[in-house]
Amino acid sequence: MPVRELSSGIYELDIDDRKMLATKNIMPGLSVYGERLITDDDTEYRQWDPSRSKLGAMVLKNFDIPLEADSTVLYLGAASGTTVSHVSDILTDGLVYAVEFSPRTMRDLIQLCDQRPNIIPILADANKPQSYAHIVEQVDVIFQDVAQPNQAEIAAINSKYFLEEHGHLMLSIKSRSIDTVASPKKIFKEEVRKLESGFDIEFEVLERKELDPFHEDHLGLVAKMFVDDEE
Amino acid sequence: MTGMEFTAWFGKIELDEDGEIRDCELFDKNPEKLAELVVELHDNVQAVPLKRADLREAALESGFVDLDEDYDILLRDVCIRAAKSQISQTDTDDSRIIQAVEALDDIDKNVNELSERLFEWYGRYFPELDMTGEELAVFVSAYGSRANVPDDHELSQKASQSMGAELLFSDEELLRAFAKNICSLYDTRRYIENYINTSMGSVAPNLCNITGASLGARLMSMAGSLQKLAAFPSSTVQVIGANRALFKHLRSKAPSPKHGIIFNNPAIKNAPWWQRGKLARALASKISLAARTDFYSGELDPSIKEALEKKLESIRQANPNPPERKPEDKPQGKGGKGGKRKYRGKGKGKNTGGKR
Ligand SMILES: C[S@@+](CC[C@H](N)C(=O)[O-])C[C@H]1O[C@@H](n2cnc3c(N)ncnc32)[C@H](O)[C@@H]1O
Repeated sequence: MPVRELSSGIYELDIDDRKMLATKNIMPGLSVYGERLITDDDTEYRQWDPSRSKLGAMVLKNFDIPLEADSTVLYLGAASGTTVSHVSDILTDGLVYAVEFSPRTMRDLIQLCDQRPNIIPILADANKPQSYAHIVEQVDVIFQDVAQPNQAEIAAINSKYFLEEHGHLMLSIKSRSIDTVASPKKIFKEEVRKLESGFDIEFEVLERKELDPFHEDHLGLVAKMFVDDEE
Repeated sequence: MTGMEFTAWFGKIELDEDGEIRDCELFDKNPEKLAELVVELHDNVQAVPLKRADLREAALESGFVDLDEDYDILLRDVCIRAAKSQISQTDTDDSRIIQAVEALDDIDKNVNELSERLFEWYGRYFPELDMTGEELAVFVSAYGSRANVPDDHELSQKASQSMGAELLFSDEELLRAFAKNICSLYDTRRYIENYINTSMGSVAPNLCNITGASLGARLMSMAGSLQKLAAFPSSTVQVIGANRALFKHLRSKAPSPKHGIIFNNPAIKNAPWWQRGKLARALASKISLAARTDFYSGELDPSIKEALEKKLESIRQANPNPPERKPEDKPQGKGGKGGKRKYRGKGKGKNTGGKR
């Protein structure tokens, strides 16, 4: 079976001429959310459905994905761990801190953490990074998918506390969480502006693309924190 | 000198002004204890210096762990314990009542559907039987075929003269089993209702005192929790349960709905239409007060109910007669005596008239 590595730890399988996104299952035999398992020689892959994952969609939209096997990731808005499980597959030598504030959802996420060695569950509100600063180290990547009206602000304060100087911020912005009537394009522009100059830290936006057709009215974005060399 | 202290999950770290570690007081490597601390620091947030040594480095340097791997393993163990304990704390008394209220709604939905099915099904064999709901289910599970209705039963004549079809034995068994299940759902329903009645008295005694157990539980369920209900302004309490109309009001400029579920309270439901809005407002404001008292003190304060009764009575006294109604409710209509009062929709008035 032809297999192509699209980015570190992220694969495109060719099954009967149909392309499929996947990661290598670090827990062979276990499917997380009913996704398909595909075995090729000695390797088991887990199908990654881009319409159920903003990160998966960003891969297929050709973003440069800043995740490596040894990355440390802070994931905000982990939900029950659909995407986190693939991040966990990618980080064979790394760690993901998974923040989720709904106790009901965290119940499912913990089952995933029980199975996998590299996910640290944190039941907390991403608006209050101080409430998990005693747990989270400096990270290489912050991935955020919280669907909240103040998404940009949440990204900014978390970056301030936890993002390495040269680390990356990956953001999924849902326009309808910010305003249900205004045009998504306008909202996206405003959110990008906020990230670039709205807070006391600034970002350099490296890439931005809408995530359709996988997710309607969502913008994907990768940014770097602007490092001030003075001080 | 101007250092800072910061507590990490593995110890207290003293930092100098550049965020470098000056000293570190390590905790015991006991996952259970560390998890408690992690939860404690989540609930009572500390001041966190932006410039601080990296946690992992600090743990390695201070000798808390020797290897990166050990750090991962212990931290994971601690955080899973912490999250589990946080989750178990969310099974609060009000959340159990809310589950019960929602279970009640589920049962109602299902039991109605099943009862209708039984009515249709059994109707082929005994169409003259004038029963529905639980009564019908009890009858069918007791007798099955109408041939089994004993002679001294008040329905025995109807049964023997029925134009219904003959019920085969195999079908009869099936129908009786089906009816038995419906009966047991009605039993469970009563069981849950009892549960709500008794637990509301201890979880939200004031709310229960003002609204009754069932309405109070429903208000908590729709608000999401006792805490949320306590946080709502009373204008919101008044429209809880009128959600569809409420969202419409928020989206477009449709008039704000006045009929939340508190209109099911007999004091309002049985009042004449022109008093209802005022009564509902008074009730809503006392519900807010009651929910707050329950959330913050938890003790029954009978004065809330007394004050409510007084207020309701004074509204009734002040508004004994319907405001004058014009045949058509035109906005330019000259305000007579009841000029300031908002004119109510025609339908509503009619409705009430019909019921009373
Ligand atoms: C769109 S879902 C995330 C889906 C997930 N990223 C995936 O692909 O599997 C958004 C999640 O963010 C959580 N969330 C929203 N606001 C949050 C906050 N302030 N702090 C932490 N989590 C939050 C929600 O409970 C929800 O589970």
